[in-house]
Order: sequence, then structure tokens, then C-alpha cells
Amino acid sequence: MALHEDELRKLINCIVTSHQDDCLDCESCGQQLDCLAELVAQGRSLDDLMPEVTTHLCCCRDCFEEFEALVAILRAEQGGQLDISG
Amino acid sequence: MIERTNEQWLSDLTGPPEVQAPALEDLRQRLQRGIFYYLSRERSDLSHLATHELNHMAEDLAQDATLRVIANLDSFRGDSRFTTWATKIAVRLAISDLRRARYKDFSLDGLTAEGDTLPATSDALASNHSPNPEHATERSDVMLKIDRALDEALTERQRQALTAVALQDVPLEIVAERMGTNRNALYKLLHDARRKLRQHLEAQGLSTDYMLKLFED
Repeated sequence: MALHEDELRKLINCIVTSHQDDCLDCESCGQQLDCLAELVAQGRSLDDLMPEVTTHLCCCRDCFEEFEALVAILRAEQGGQLDISG
Repeated sequence: MIERTNEQWLSDLTGPPEVQAPALEDLRQRLQRGIFYYLSRERSDLSHLATHELNHMAEDLAQDATLRVIANLDSFRGDSRFTTWATKIAVRLAISDLRRARYKDFSLDGLTAEGDTLPATSDALASNHSPNPEHATERSDVMLKIDRALDEALTERQRQALTAVALQDVPLEIVAERMGTNRNALYKLLHDARRKLRQHLEAQGLSTDYMLKLFED
């Protein structure tokens, strides 16, 4: 198979972000996502929290997309944008 | 809407009908608002939809999410607020639905066919626009080695998964469904593929740092 340069960059980045064998899989990451999202929504830095979850999020777009969505909703809730009280 | 502690949520949602019904409705409304916010404010790909259409989507998703939350109550560990945990379930459901809709026509067969139509290596090399001829040659050489490594180091299944996920940006969830596996198993398969590819390339003297530097913009 012949690769374009942009595909090659993606592939190299994908290899670079591969992690050690003892890191989390999607299921284990998902179990901790709510707790992590609350902390990040409160202003904590992702890098300082649960490094093994953070590592997984760097490698897994699916989990990261779900994490970002959850944080966005929690922040909107904190900012009164969801009108929960109604 | 009543504010509840985690214990109150669990107690009300599993309580007698007169207590459970309002708790279910509070949960559904809460999830619907969160989903609507996500669809309307965080998804630029849905910006063409009217507010009532997004509302309808959020309503359907919140209904399904509420049922799923109830079915999974036993797995709530209390590490976060109950509503955050429930929202996590709703978010996953919503994003899964959006992924399935977006990739409804995606097939692994199509991926192979498209792969066949990729330009030949000589064409790919011709597109290697480096101002420095030596640099261009070096990049071409490494491109060929990486190209070869994909065939030599990986199984067909690993190559297929890596191509879909890493090169074509297809979500793991979609690829896993098409491959007849689950996301977790696919993640592990991809993890092995990345590791094997890395080891194969490093054995040829191609470190990731070197390759990153060579192909940086």
C-alpha cells in the first residue's frame, strides 16, 4: 500500500503515542471518566490527574471525544447554562 | 427540579412508583438538557439542523439514556456525583448514535477498495515536495520502509484496523462493529499493531524521534 505524506505523519504520530503495556484499555478508562471529568471541570489540570487515564485519552480518540463532551456539559452546568433548576 | 444526593437518587429511582416516577422524569429532563447543550453548542457538524430538530434528537437520546442508566444502576460506584455518572452514559449513547449515522456507509471492504486506488508509491514519492533534494531522498527512503513495514510487521487484521483508525480517522467503535469485535478488543489489537510497527522500524534504525523530525512541516 502506498501512503501519502499526510497519512505517513498520522501513522508516525500514532506510533509515537503508543504506550506501555500496563496502561488502561477503553473499558477501564470509561469507568473513571466521570470522576476525572468532574475534577477537570472544576479547573484541575488533566496532566496532574490520573496519569494512566490521561495516557489512554492521548491514544484513544473515541474516549477523548466522550471525555471532552462530558467536561463541556459539566462546565455548562456550573455556568448555569443548562437551567437545571427549571 | 429537586436537588438530590447520590443516595437520594439511588433510593428514589428504585423506590415505589410515586417516588420513582418524578425521579425518572427529573433525570430524563436533566439528561435532555445536557445532550441538547452538547448537540447545539459543541457539534459544529450539526449546525445545519434547526433548534426543534436538535431538541427532538436530545429528547429521544435522553429517553434511551434514562433507560440505560436505570438498567446499569448497580454499576454506579459513587466515585462522582450520580448525575455526572448518568451524563457520562448519555454522552456515550449520543456520540455513538452520531458516529453510526455519520459512518453508516463505511465498510472495511470499501476501505480495501479505496486502498487499491491510492497512488502508486512512485506517485506518492513524486508528491514529496521538499526544497532540499537530499532531504527529499531521505524522506522517500523512509516512506518506502514504513510502507513495507506495514506489510511485513502487521497481520491483515491489524493493518486493516490501523488504516481505518489511524489513517482514515474512523472511530474505533465503528471499526470494531464492522470487524465483529468490541472497542476494547480493537484498542488492544491496535496497541499491539502500533508496538509491532514501532519495534520493526526501530530494528531498521528508524526511531520515532528521527521520523517525526524528518516529516515535520
